[in-house]
Amino acid sequence: MDRKNIKKWLKEHGKMSHKYSLWVIYFCTGCGIIEIPPVITSRWDAERFGVIPVATPRQANLFLITGYVSVKTLKAIIRTYEQMPDPKFTVGFGSCPINGGMYWDSYNTIKHLDKYIPVDGWIAGCMPRPEAIFIAVTHLWTLIDKDMATGYIKYREKYKYYRANQEKVLSELEWPPLYPINDNEEIK
Amino acid sequence: MNNSLKREIESMFSDIQVIIPEDTRILITARKEQLLIILKFLKEKGYNHLALISCIDWEEERQFEMVYILTSYLQKNNEVTGDERLHVIVKLRIPRESAEFITVIPVFENAEPYEREIHELFGINFEGHPRLTPLFLEREYKIPPFRKDFDTRKYVKEIFDNIPFIPEKK
Repeated sequence: MDRKNIKKWLKEHGKMSHKYSLWVIYFCTGCGIIEIPPVITSRWDAERFGVIPVATPRQANLFLITGYVSVKTLKAIIRTYEQMPDPKFTVGFGSCPINGGMYWDSYNTIKHLDKYIPVDGWIAGCMPRPEAIFIAVTHLWTLIDKDMATGYIKYREKYKYYRANQEKVLSELEWPPLYPINDNEEIK
Repeated sequence: MNNSLKREIESMFSDIQVIIPEDTRILITARKEQLLIILKFLKEKGYNHLALISCIDWEEERQFEMVYILTSYLQKNNEVTGDERLHVIVKLRIPRESAEFITVIPVFENAEPYEREIHELFGINFEGHPRLTPLFLEREYKIPPFRKDFDTRKYVKEIFDNIPFIPEKK
């Protein structure tokens, strides 16, 4: 919080509001959720960074995916992600969403989460310490400042590819496409 | 207590094996037709808690082994609870080619999710089960994934590694 930045804040107040009020929905998929209670309670106190857990995805703009993602969970993750209002940011927590981690040869675990929903940042480690979440949050601030956390725009633009990948893994999706799909461009 | 129970079960059928591997365990090896009678008898004896149904795939012997573990919560028939509680294990084998079995829901109602799980992961059909619908898995597998001849690495290569990455913005 530097006084010199006041001018900049006033100029880009929208960005500043997004940055300092990252309301987070935790997706308790795996063992990573064990790191969340100390983060949001008084020991590490995530509210210093404006990170508050919220009840529903419709109030959230940061999506923290903690732990491995099974095929059934992926369905719920996509639903949750599509319900969040723009702008929304996703952070994968732990090594399992990155490339499968220790579940690299499992028959029912998703290996690369960014094939199905856009991910703005990763926190590597098994498990990462709670401090890593705050490092990720401060990195995300930088990315928002530089207009680099644009996963939600990418999701809209490349929705056809995401939807195709989602349909490959989940044999039947119960909801219609979120965005209209242009069939002019060939899917590789 | 163990020995009297052992004698009682042995007297029921001629071709039944009862072993006491530990002080708190009784291991019964039976045939498919005897299962319901044994479970009913044990339930009346006070072993009214079906703790687990499990399945083992013996691929080389071409057999599935079903394991039923029973125990009792209540103090009954001078039975001691706690650490010295007696566990009754019933084991039986069925051929692997025709994976057909009977349900034990008439005796223990809580067998339903266990049998659904085994049906899903091992592909064993339980005759008389009211709904053998998928429980955990979202996809359909040609070979049920917990069978020994299911090659997970090959499956991962074929399915998950073939999904393309999203192209970057130009």
